[in-house]
Amino acid sequence: MSHDDIQHHVKTYVKVFIALMFLTLLTVGASYIDFDISPQFRSGAIFVGLAIASFKGYMVASEFMHLNNEKKMIYWVLGLTVFFFIFCLSIPVLWEANLMGDTNFEQSPPKIEGGHH
Amino acid sequence: MQIPYNEELRPDTGLYNAKLGIWIFLASEIMLFGGLFSAYIMLRVGAPVWPPLGTAQLNIPMATFNTVVLITSSVTMVMAWASLKMNNFGKFKMYMGLTLLFSAMFLVVKYFEYSAKLSHGFTPAHDTFLAIYYTMTGLHVIHIIAGMIVNGYLWMPGSKMWKSNPERFTNRIEVAGLYWHFVDLVWIFLFPSLYLL
Repeated sequence: MSHDDIQHHVKTYVKVFIALMFLTLLTVGASYIDFDISPQFRSGAIFVGLAIASFKGYMVASEFMHLNNEKKMIYWVLGLTVFFFIFCLSIPVLWEANLMGDTNFEQSPPKIEGGHH
Repeated sequence: MQIPYNEELRPDTGLYNAKLGIWIFLASEIMLFGGLFSAYIMLRVGAPVWPPLGTAQLNIPMATFNTVVLITSSVTMVMAWASLKMNNFGKFKMYMGLTLLFSAMFLVVKYFEYSAKLSHGFTPAHDTFLAIYYTMTGLHVIHIIAGMIVNGYLWMPGSKMWKSNPERFTNRIEVAGLYWHFVDLVWIFLFPSLYLL
């Protein structure tokens, strides 16, 4: 990497830093807003909060960790990791989803009126 | 025996060995924190009310301040690497010193946060929310301390390598930086998950 390339990178780092600061404040601000579309759909705030966090994470990974321009081998390592993570996560999630509405299952969590999932 | 491919790139991977090594390590770290995030999701989905009634109120201003501090430390870390790439050792010293300063600031804030909770009896055994909160943030704090030890070594005694082998030293800073950005990345998800949502 030449001296000019690094100078260009440094300018990008400063821009990303400003964007991350702005998005941090936005995350906090957004947490005070009610994003729930209806009583049935009460996950609006979680969706917005995690969407902003994902975008921040993308900026850190792509610019600071240089994942926007990396070797194939590293993409393979990360791709396999993401695949196995989703696979492992899906086991308990699908197990839980399978039990929903199963009133005969003794260990089902008790439903409390007014509580939300 | 000399460890191969410290500076030159290995022909089959196109990387120096330490860089592939740190990415494989970070992959295992993704699974470690990923497992805890999965546990958090399962606890949250399974709870009738979240956070549980009577649990501690987390301090959002303190956590926001810590988020700003950690992101800033990530920027100073990448600037430390860029300074070495531009052959400016003095600036590297300054940016690495700032990274360590911000890391210490994060720990001090975390200390005040933990001690305020614990003094009111909000221990990990209080409820499932606090159990997962202490587990995830505690593991993150251990990662911060580990990063500080490595960065501290590279800032002071380890920096002698700049004179004997500048390219290898620059690679070491890049590898330490990748770890540090990962620690920052984990906090970026911990902050909204535990404090805001």
